[in-house]
Order: sequence, then structure tokens, then C-alpha cells
Amino acid sequence: MLPSSHPWDTVIKAAMRKYPNPMNPCVVGVDVLERSVDAQGRLHSLRLLSTEWGLPGLVRAVLGTGRTMTYVQERSVVDPAEKRMELCSANAVREMGDLGSGLGRKARDRTCSAVSFPKLTLTNVVSVSERLVYTPHPENAGGRLLTRKPSSLRGIGLAATGG
Amino acid sequence: MPSESAAAAAAAAAAMNSVGEACTDMKREYDQCFNRWFAEKFLKGDGSGDPCTDLFKRYQQCVQKAIKEKEIPIEGLEFMGHGKEKPESSS
Repeated sequence: MLPSSHPWDTVIKAAMRKYPNPMNPCVVGVDVLERSVDAQGRLHSLRLLSTEWGLPGLVRAVLGTGRTMTYVQERSVVDPAEKRMELCSANAVREMGDLGSGLGRKARDRTCSAVSFPKLTLTNVVSVSERLVYTPHPENAGGRLLTRKPSSLRGIGLAATGG
Repeated sequence: MPSESAAAAAAAAAAMNSVGEACTDMKREYDQCFNRWFAEKFLKGDGSGDPCTDLFKRYQQCVQKAIKEKEIPIEGLEFMGHGKEKPESSS
């Protein structure tokens, strides 16, 4: 539980606009794929983050820049009435190789992005799938809580929990 | 001040590119419209009357085309015209 003095809506606005992010300069593109408001007034968004692996220029020239990009899908739900935001993301990684086929092999890795307070930096947490839920702090009207609910852990030897 | 930092953040977000080079201008125009509506209306409890739908439609058409051309793997988005691909379980 990390209380903060920032009002909830300031945090949410920052979370929605976290790129460009100097802590993650590899994100070179951000697109909104879907966006809608549901019957309960919650905003659902699906965003595509284009990230560049940062390989040497020669490698990129040989493979073509389209093959060295990783695309992350980020889903978010913002509930202004409950003052709650959920955020999760998943990778679709195109593996290098298959220079002739033009397709490459595709694998999916479910990862999540973690927002840490108070600097609101973004770190990629590999092999952990989490749901992040932001709610107002129960005791501090100006703050908010970040509740992490791990749904699965990979590669660390801990049992997966539901979620 | 929150309004100044929000304006600065909006300007920074608008500076990001689209996955489709031709879509970047449309994206930025849509982002500015959305960020304004999001901060001034939606977060204040007025989520009706999205003024950005036309901008979003034009932007979306461009992005869908770019995603198809670049063969970007997007799962579960039927409107993209890709086959329905189920996510693989983590292993």
C-alpha cells in the first residue's frame, strides 16, 4: 500500500499519458485500437505500444525494422464514479529469423506493467501477471492505494494464485 | 499546478508516433481531443457526448490498415480482419 498526496484524477491522467517515458525510451509508438464507455460509465481502452528492441543498426538493417519491434497490448478500465483504474498488458513478440517466409514465428508472453509511486515511472515486470487496481486511500482523502493482485508468477517457483 | 502539468503531459503524449507513419498526425489530433474530454468531462463525471468520434474513426481506419500491412500480431480483434487467435497459456 503506497499512499500518495496526488489527487486520484491527476494520477489517472498521468497513467493514461505515460509515454513518452524517459524510464522506458524503447516505446516508440502508442496507438489506441479500441475505446468505449460502457453502460456503467467506465472507459475501456485497448492501446498498442510499439517498442524497439534497440539492436545494433547493422542487425536492424539486415532484418528490417519491422522484425525488431515488440508490440504490447495494454488494456485499461477507468471508473470515475468508483475512482478506480485497472491496467494490464500483454506482449506479442515476433521472433527474429524466418528471413524468407516474411512472417516469423509468433509467441505470446503475458506480462504486466507496474506503476510505482510517487514518481509514476513505468517498469516492465517480466514473467509476472498482475492486475493493478487504483482506489482512493481510505484514510487520506487526497491519496490513493495501489493494490496488486498477482494472478500468476512464472519462472520464480511460486504457486499461481487466482485472479 | 495540476493544470499546468496536465497540459505539459498532454503535449508530451501528443508527441508520440503512431505505428503507421501516415497516421501520426491523425493520432495526435485525436489524442488532443481525447485528453481534453477525458480531463474536463469524463473524470468529472460527465462521460456522455464524446466529441472525438469522427476523429477517432478516421484515425482507426488508418491504424487498421497499417497493422494489416505490417502483419502485427493482434489477438482477439475481429474488426482487424485477422483470424481469431487464442492466447497461449504462460509456461
